[in-house]
Amino acid sequence: MNDRTTENMTIKPKKNHRSSEPVWWALFSAGGVCFAVFIPTAILFFGFLQPLGLIDFSYSQAHNWFFGFWGLMFSGAFIILPGFHAAHRIRHGLHDLKVQRHGLIKVICYGLAGLISLLTLGIWFTGIIS
Amino acid sequence: MKTIHITRYLPESSEIPFVQQFDIPADDSTSVLDALNYIKEELDPSLSFRWSCRMAICGSCGLMVNGKPKLGCKTFLRDYQENITLQPLAHLPVERDLIVDMDVFLTHLEAVKPYLISDDSLSTEPNKQTPTQMAKYQQFSDCINCGLCYSACPQFGLNPEFLGPAAITLAHRYNLDSRDHGKAQRMPLLNTEEGAWSCTFVGFCSEVCPKKVDPAAAVNQSKVESAKDMIIQLFKGNL
Repeated sequence: MNDRTTENMTIKPKKNHRSSEPVWWALFSAGGVCFAVFIPTAILFFGFLQPLGLIDFSYSQAHNWFFGFWGLMFSGAFIILPGFHAAHRIRHGLHDLKVQRHGLIKVICYGLAGLISLLTLGIWFTGIIS
Repeated sequence: MKTIHITRYLPESSEIPFVQQFDIPADDSTSVLDALNYIKEELDPSLSFRWSCRMAICGSCGLMVNGKPKLGCKTFLRDYQENITLQPLAHLPVERDLIVDMDVFLTHLEAVKPYLISDDSLSTEPNKQTPTQMAKYQQFSDCINCGLCYSACPQFGLNPEFLGPAAITLAHRYNLDSRDHGKAQRMPLLNTEEGAWSCTFVGFCSEVCPKKVDPAAAVNQSKVESAKDMIIQLFKGNL
């Protein structure tokens, strides 16, 4: 039958610890908007228009454009925020698949997103100062 | 005639649940609850199930119809083809046949202080409210505590300590009420992992709600409130 008994389903009185989830949820929400709005344009631009030769966008043009203010915006909207969005989905997806190590998964998912973010910003910053 | 398969559980005779088949005479007006009452009166008086109002107000006759949480009185046999499977509500411990133990659900409801909290307990003045102020929470006050949303919620299924859709909706309903002053008392519970933040916005709770309360909206508005609360407390230096 049902393996849960009434006894172990009662709520244990415990201190109300504030969840850190609002931080991750905010990044997830911002990343979701980026995924919906910006990523399709990147796919259209770099995946179709450029390979088909419909637009002319050379490496040096891209290089000059990226290592400026708009490159920083691009990093946030196309890499960093979507990265945190994906990390959040993977983390909750693993919870749905009943993977128990919640703390470890949290560190791995957001850690990876954080690492990718640092790497992106690092590359951008190195390009700016050089 | 319609064939109904019911998952039976009679703990005094067998530890293992079994499926029993019944053939029911049905017309366009036969509800699942009518069918259960027919079985109890004519075929097998040992069948146990809860019911009362038979008009989707009391919230007693919740059960799984073909795997989906439904109210027996609001579900009609005419909408199903040959085979209909009835099971007790998912995610709650089964006591007997279609009767589940609702204790955990009721504990969660109680935990959010679902009543008007006054800032002045000595006042005998009636509370006044404009239609616009009432419209803010009215939809969320239509809950009949049937528990269908708890059966629909995969997160409650994974972790029964999650406050769950109905309790969070009720907390949100009172937080939105202009006569209430208890938001500060409810937020600490909503701010926890087991509060609004266990929800992953699956949305099935709103789909199965027989009163169109839309608990998923209430839970996600509560997430916004909780996030706002975090920022406010951060600026106040309380974090």
